[in-house]
Amino acid sequence: MIKLWFYMVHHGAEIWKLTVEHIEMTAIAVGIAILIGVPLGILISYVKKLDKPIIGAANVVQAIPSMALLGLMIPLLGIGQKPAIVMVIIYSLLPIIKNTYIGIADIDPQTIESARGIGMSRGQILRKVQLPLALPVIMAGVRISAVTAVGLMTMGAFIGASGLGYMIFSGIRTVNNYQILAGAIPACILALVVDWLMGLVEKLVTPISLQKDFGTDRKVLRRKRKHQKIILITAACLIGTAIVGSAVSSRAASKGQIVIGSKDYTEQLVLCHIYSDYIEAHTNLKCVPKENLGGTQVCYEALKSGKIDMYVDYTGTLYGDILKKSGETDMDRVYQICKKNLKPQGITLMHQCAFNNTYTLSVLPETAQKYNLHTIGDVAAKSGQLRLGTTLEFLNRNDCLKALERQYPGIHFAKQSGIDSSPRYTAIQNHEIDVTDAFATDGMLKKYHLTVMKDTDHVFPPYYAVPCVKTTTLQKYPELKKAINALAPHLTEKRMRQMNYEVDVKGRDPAEVARDFLNREGLLK
Amino acid sequence: MLRLEHVQKRFKDKVVIQDLSLEVHDGELLVLIGPSGCGKTTTLKMMNRLLPLSGGHIYVDGEDIAALDPVKLRRNMGYVIQQGGLFPHMTVRQNIEIIEKLEKRPKDEMTARTRELMAMIGLDPEEYLDRYPAELSGGQQQRVGVARALATDPEYVLFDEPFSALDPPTRMALQDEVVSLHEKLNKTMIFVTHDMDEAIKIADRICLMKDGEIVQLDTSENILRHPANDFVSDFVGSGRIWSAPEFIRAQDIMIDHPVKCRGDLTVEGCIIRIQTYRVSSLMVVDKAGRLIGVVDKSVFSKRPRPDAQADAVMRPVRFSVHPEDQLIDMVKAIPAEDVGRINDIPVVDGDNRLVGLVTNNNIVSKFIRPWLADAEAEEGDGR
Repeated sequence: MIKLWFYMVHHGAEIWKLTVEHIEMTAIAVGIAILIGVPLGILISYVKKLDKPIIGAANVVQAIPSMALLGLMIPLLGIGQKPAIVMVIIYSLLPIIKNTYIGIADIDPQTIESARGIGMSRGQILRKVQLPLALPVIMAGVRISAVTAVGLMTMGAFIGASGLGYMIFSGIRTVNNYQILAGAIPACILALVVDWLMGLVEKLVTPISLQKDFGTDRKVLRRKRKHQKIILITAACLIGTAIVGSAVSSRAASKGQIVIGSKDYTEQLVLCHIYSDYIEAHTNLKCVPKENLGGTQVCYEALKSGKIDMYVDYTGTLYGDILKKSGETDMDRVYQICKKNLKPQGITLMHQCAFNNTYTLSVLPETAQKYNLHTIGDVAAKSGQLRLGTTLEFLNRNDCLKALERQYPGIHFAKQSGIDSSPRYTAIQNHEIDVTDAFATDGMLKKYHLTVMKDTDHVFPPYYAVPCVKTTTLQKYPELKKAINALAPHLTEKRMRQMNYEVDVKGRDPAEVARDFLNREGLLK
Repeated sequence: MLRLEHVQKRFKDKVVIQDLSLEVHDGELLVLIGPSGCGKTTTLKMMNRLLPLSGGHIYVDGEDIAALDPVKLRRNMGYVIQQGGLFPHMTVRQNIEIIEKLEKRPKDEMTARTRELMAMIGLDPEEYLDRYPAELSGGQQQRVGVARALATDPEYVLFDEPFSALDPPTRMALQDEVVSLHEKLNKTMIFVTHDMDEAIKIADRICLMKDGEIVQLDTSENILRHPANDFVSDFVGSGRIWSAPEFIRAQDIMIDHPVKCRGDLTVEGCIIRIQTYRVSSLMVVDKAGRLIGVVDKSVFSKRPRPDAQADAVMRPVRFSVHPEDQLIDMVKAIPAEDVGRINDIPVVDGDNRLVGLVTNNNIVSKFIRPWLADAEAEEGDGR
């Protein structure tokens, strides 16, 4: 508890910034959803033929898993806040459309007929009678949407939209419970506050005569409404200033900035900050880290489309996963093939770093002893008795499990399962799986005392870290090239593993670890 | 003037109104009545274009309503429905002033008008203007509905079964209110109801409809007195006239062939006739049938000579009525000292010719017989 408190106090500024971002994105999303949903709801209450198709479509969209929707959004909208906001809008539409429709449809037809009968036009009936009477129901829909949106928006961090989800996702990646809670608790409080505020709005828009406690003293009711109004106006002002403030500060930062992306695991986070700090120290450019974008494909697409200016990938990943090639395992040849093939995509590969974070298989020491496992070949031979649990990437990539199957045709694990990157260490610790994939520089290997299998047959291609930079960015800021390449020799396997260990095991902040490293090596001078 | 010419209304393939022509006089209160499904409400809703016509024309002051802006048309035609159709989220004041506000009338003019209307419908402005419909009784809501319909001072007011959900005392009070408003404001009112008592009470003319056609269009009295056919008399009900005493006339309740004699009949003859017909008095008429006197049974206790003539023992006619005289007037006209003493009232025409007799007995039996007939009919249905 105390540790959590310290963590939250220590990261207070960051949590606050993320919370504001979160509120901002949620407010925009819900706002747009209202602007789309309410007119649609009104439309289908007038044109009855449209109600089934529109509500049906909203239902179907609601049923798409949010992760899938986010994934589908990347090719269309890239990464960052935009696709996240669009996703939340799409999810928020259904309750708003439905409630608007129901709110209007449920009005006593006699009331509408008498409105027509006394000579009100359609527009006047809508404005003076239908909307005021339906507003409480519409607001109930908006309330549901808004509360859901607060939670849903955390998913946005998956594609680099920041917000409180960033804390949660980084926390999961680095097995840092405090960080998860530092994101989850504010998100939870935020949802409750939004629910409460929206409840007030709902009450306020309910005509006084339709209130539940109507009939109590009119004066008391009026005073209560006045208090509610004050609270809401204050809240609106706070949100407004926060949004304007962040908009101003983000505009100020948009000149000459390099957006550095990262995938969603510790080493990538650390590298992202190392490059960011180093470039800022040695050039006049401002760097914006965009961490936790997800897997390779997300980062690569983001770079290609120019959403980010650079990220660090690995030669083997580019070779096998992006270029869909296989067979070559020589470090330099792989690098050259990648460099040549990525050039037409507008991506320039910088110098390779000094560490090779290749895939490897690891087991618990007792498992190694029990089955006498030393090499990957040994694991393949005993695979019938072993349960494999790896990342989804490992299962699907051409140069991972498939490469193993090509090298050892007889390999067949007793059970194969895909687990997210961090939980698989917990799984192996709990003997739910026997073998897992790992990266050579993974700090977790040290934490969980796992035994790494030697790749004597060169099954896996080389995975030297290599910064990939948008060619146009390099042309615009030539000073980048020198800065980026100068770092390469300093990033060795040992140092990298140490840094990963600091984050994963000691629970330190990747940005801090990166800065410590740069300071220790005297690279910021 | 409101005129319907060959109006036709179909809902999809179902013909609701075949060919209806009707003229509503300026300033009259016309009631549309008939069994459910007769097209009365449909007819009303076509007048303010809540429903489109399938054929024919409706003219308001000579203009075809199809050519008018429906909103403008409706603002010249107040519309009152059940429970007033008030907007639940607006106060009484907002409800009444809604159209005036939409028309952007000056505020002080509006306030003055609202107060005037509140006075008209008998609600205290101080107490009620800021209340919401939910805080009013059904009858009060209905009054506000009427006030709202009158707010723009329309020439016409349409009522669509406004009082049918109210309890009888409230309904009756509101009917009185409508009648007095109608007299005061001189507006043309068209009132749909299915309640014959209501119609008789408020209508200048009643338009009785069945299956989309007008069966009879006439004054209340003529509908009661001279039903055009069996449907009308069935719908009106045989005993209906007793609920509207102002329409009951001497001819309705008199015996058509009173027992009478000529002046030259002997006392003996009179006694025989009285005993034969078991009456209490004999009407004495002359050759032309003119009433000249009455021989009461009581006169025989004075032992007149048996051969004396009726014109010698008869008493003069103290009180007689005309066949067209109303029951109420008859009752009022009986001299105070004679109330309770008069058993038989002779009915004479303009030439003093005896045409009938109203007796206590036959008033009672006339009152009761229709109810007996209804009761028997119901019993018959039960079986």
